[in-house]
Amino acid sequence: MREQPSGLKTWIFTTDHKKIAVLYLITACVFFFVGLLLATVMRTDQLFPAGSKFLNGELYNVVFTIHGAAMVLFWMIPVLLGFFGNLLIPLMIGARDVAFPRLNALSFWFYLGAGIIAVLGLLLPGRLDFGWTGYPPLSVITNTNTALYVFAVHLLGASSIAGSVNLITTIVTMRAPGMTWGRLNLAVWGIMGASIIQIIGIPVLAAAVTLLLFDKYLGTHFYDASMGGSALLYQNLFWFYAHPAVYVVALPVFGIVSEIISTFSRKPIFGYISMVIAIMVITVLGFEVWIHHLYVAGTANWARVLFMWGTILIGVPTGIKVFNWLATLHKGSIEFSTPMLHALGFISLFTIGGVTGIANGLLGIDIQVHDTHWVVAHFHYVLALSMSMLAIGGIYFWFPKFTGRMCSERLGKIAFWLTIIGALVAFAPQFYLGVKGVPRRYWIIPAEYAGYMRIGSIFSYIAITGFLLSLINFLYSAINGERAPSNPWNSKSLEWQIPSPAPFYNFDKIPVITEGPYEYGKPQGKES
Amino acid sequence: MRKSSLFFAAILIMAALMPASAFAKMTNPVDAWNRHFDTWLVVAVVVWLVVTVPMLYFLVKYRRSSRDEDGVYIKGNTGLEILWTAVPTIIIALLGVQSWRVFNTYREVPQDAYEVRVDGFRYGFEMIYPEGIKTINELRVPVGPVKLSLSSRDVIHDFALPGFRIREDMLPGRFTYLWFYADKPGEIRHVYCAELCGPGHSLMQAKLIVMKKEDFNAWVASKKGVEGSASLSQDIRGKELIKQCTGCHSLTGERITGPTFNGLFGRETLLADGTKIAVDEAYIKESIRSPKARIVDGYPPTMPPFNLSDKEVDAIVAYLKEIK
Ligand code: HEC
Ligand code: HEM
Ligand SMILES: [Cu+2]
Ligand SMILES: [Cu+2]
Repeated sequence: MREQPSGLKTWIFTTDHKKIAVLYLITACVFFFVGLLLATVMRTDQLFPAGSKFLNGELYNVVFTIHGAAMVLFWMIPVLLGFFGNLLIPLMIGARDVAFPRLNALSFWFYLGAGIIAVLGLLLPGRLDFGWTGYPPLSVITNTNTALYVFAVHLLGASSIAGSVNLITTIVTMRAPGMTWGRLNLAVWGIMGASIIQIIGIPVLAAAVTLLLFDKYLGTHFYDASMGGSALLYQNLFWFYAHPAVYVVALPVFGIVSEIISTFSRKPIFGYISMVIAIMVITVLGFEVWIHHLYVAGTANWARVLFMWGTILIGVPTGIKVFNWLATLHKGSIEFSTPMLHALGFISLFTIGGVTGIANGLLGIDIQVHDTHWVVAHFHYVLALSMSMLAIGGIYFWFPKFTGRMCSERLGKIAFWLTIIGALVAFAPQFYLGVKGVPRRYWIIPAEYAGYMRIGSIFSYIAITGFLLSLINFLYSAINGERAPSNPWNSKSLEWQIPSPAPFYNFDKIPVITEGPYEYGKPQGKES
Repeated sequence: MRKSSLFFAAILIMAALMPASAFAKMTNPVDAWNRHFDTWLVVAVVVWLVVTVPMLYFLVKYRRSSRDEDGVYIKGNTGLEILWTAVPTIIIALLGVQSWRVFNTYREVPQDAYEVRVDGFRYGFEMIYPEGIKTINELRVPVGPVKLSLSSRDVIHDFALPGFRIREDMLPGRFTYLWFYADKPGEIRHVYCAELCGPGHSLMQAKLIVMKKEDFNAWVASKKGVEGSASLSQDIRGKELIKQCTGCHSLTGERITGPTFNGLFGRETLLADGTKIAVDEAYIKESIRSPKARIVDGYPPTMPPFNLSDKEVDAIVAYLKEIK
């Protein structure tokens, strides 16, 4: 076996999936930090009624645009596919690396490049201020740097396609002997589903923003109604990818929750097969919901009704997963470690986001709450805060495996309680504003709601403090943490059967797999 | 099976609510919306309890007691898994059917609706009545069903009328519609723009005034008379026309998207090309007719040209002189 090289150069030229994963993690955390800072700025603005002097209408738009883009495109998706995908797939299927290591490195550097372009969009004059969705004609007729938005999306898309092709190929072709489809970790299944969505969806998004570029700089009229184009074309193309993108985040998250809950309940995951089916159903059904973003956009009535069914039916496979997690807890032996607390926190936030999501999925209700603070509250519960929390929990969980050190449990628990207390309340008042019809992306919120926004701001500070404490914990423990044993959580999954940190080529000898990853408490002599 | 009995309780509640809500005859979509929302709320609370209560219970009951303890080796239960696939499917289907019906009441406009055309622009709404009257940021309608035909002159806007639980986007180059039932007279309800349209997005608001039929007719008659004759004083006309501008230009001295109108007349303006100019009538007229000709320093060249008659421009200029 070759020795693992060291030094800064090896980080830059590395093709090792674990190092690339760590590069992804560091970059994604930087964007998470930026996103949180921008959230703090908005929330501070909302402490005062009727818009403070501290932001203005232009700046507020810039801040939420970059906040949204940084969080969704540069934190959530990269941390789940780039970090967890890269780290876990080879380790969990018993491979020495991904199928195309150099393509993998390229994919990271494209991501970093896209990130730099996005930051330029915040700093250069002509700042991006049209929302992370970039709807024309607004993004075409104003003098913002739409090109930066387009190029960031292009580069990021190229990165994601490269990454997804890699992960899918790895899963399909490089499983160790005996690693049947029925023995794969649910995290692997989730990452697989997410990668499939990426490959199908991103080309469509790329087309959408390319036409935007042509319209703005080359004088074409794809989105210009006065010349026979259609502004709605963009919205359709955009959401064809951007809604399923939510599942690109959610499917790996579902997988990771399953890993954590099974490990710390010391029980097999309940209903493995129905979990896998649910993941795959969401992968497919995820493409039959996008029109819910166009529920009040003058879309044909039949299209709204058709897509309502897709949207609310997604609730069924999602519900299956939640109930299976509950059933896994049932008669388990539950340990409240930091990762486990984060997984449980995820379920509590996600449930609130889930039931409110049914409301805005229902046409009859959405006609009032569309594009209001209801939606802001809903997606921060269902995705932003819950899944960020879970991603943090996942980092706590595998931290020993990729750093070789233990994270501070004490600091981790303090961070958890701050995050969950803040997150449970931070967006709750905005449901009320939504029912009252107050639109989102408002710099000046009508004065009668100032009190609600202030409560939201105060709890947001608490949640943000929790997140920041976790980031600090990672930094601190990576340097000063105790040395980790190879299997600190006593897990049955493959990645814990090798030393911590995982050695350069992962497995001395490719293992032969004889049972699934969740065989806790198995009575002696029983077949799996 | 405590969980399955909870589920059946949920189903029963649904069944009890459905006939009342989904099959009642409705004229006012607001009532339909309220009932639909309440149904959802009950379901949501029940589902939330069904998840949260067992979770907390398990966490307390099954917390680990000794270091090496394992959980019970249970890998699944087909009956239960089918149960929590089927029951949510049924609940969701029922909600969906109810929603579909509510949606239909929103989209089927009554024959006798009074129809107003509304154009969105950055940052305001212009209402164009069938009688030829125009108002800005103020919608007057008679009691009864009202249909709005929505469109936009620039970017996408949205006409949101939360008091009537309804909204619809306003798109350039085509018409969309919505209708609502104006049930009683009064000046009560907010109108918002609910689609991001630029820095003035949150300033793009209007008010709705519902009037008794005879009051409304009187208003129409008075407006038509005045509009036709030349007797409308320039001042009133200017005050009305300027509403098209105040989404970008404040009257109070504040900086919004454009420079404030406060003290505009006679002040010295620094232009982007470095020259200074004293604001006079000619300059203001030019700013309105061809906004891109001379750009004020430090502001984006985003002011759109306005399609106004000479008289209207005169009225605006006259009014601007007064704002100090
Ligand atoms: C979409 C926003 C917008 C609207 C609506 C708008 N303006 Fe402007 N206006 C601007 C901006 C931005 C500037 C500064 C840049 C420039 O000179 O074009 C400006 C500049 C001006 C100036 C020059 C001010 C100075 O200090 O020299 C005048 C006069 C003016 N506008 C009049 C009007 C009038 C009258 C209307 C309504 C009929 C109107 N504007 C509507 C955005 C707007
Ligand atoms: C505690 C942390 C957070 C706070 C306080 C916060 C706060 C906010 C606020 C105030 C807005 C603007 C709402 C509006 O006026 O329309 C917003 C928008 C948004 N947030 Fe967050 N946020 C947080 C975390 C996150 C995370 C982790 C994500 C990751 C997905 C996220 C994704 C978004 C998106 C996509 C938008 C919409 C941007 C747009 O309208 O273009 N947020 N957030
Ligand atoms: Cu969506
Ligand atoms: Cu707007």
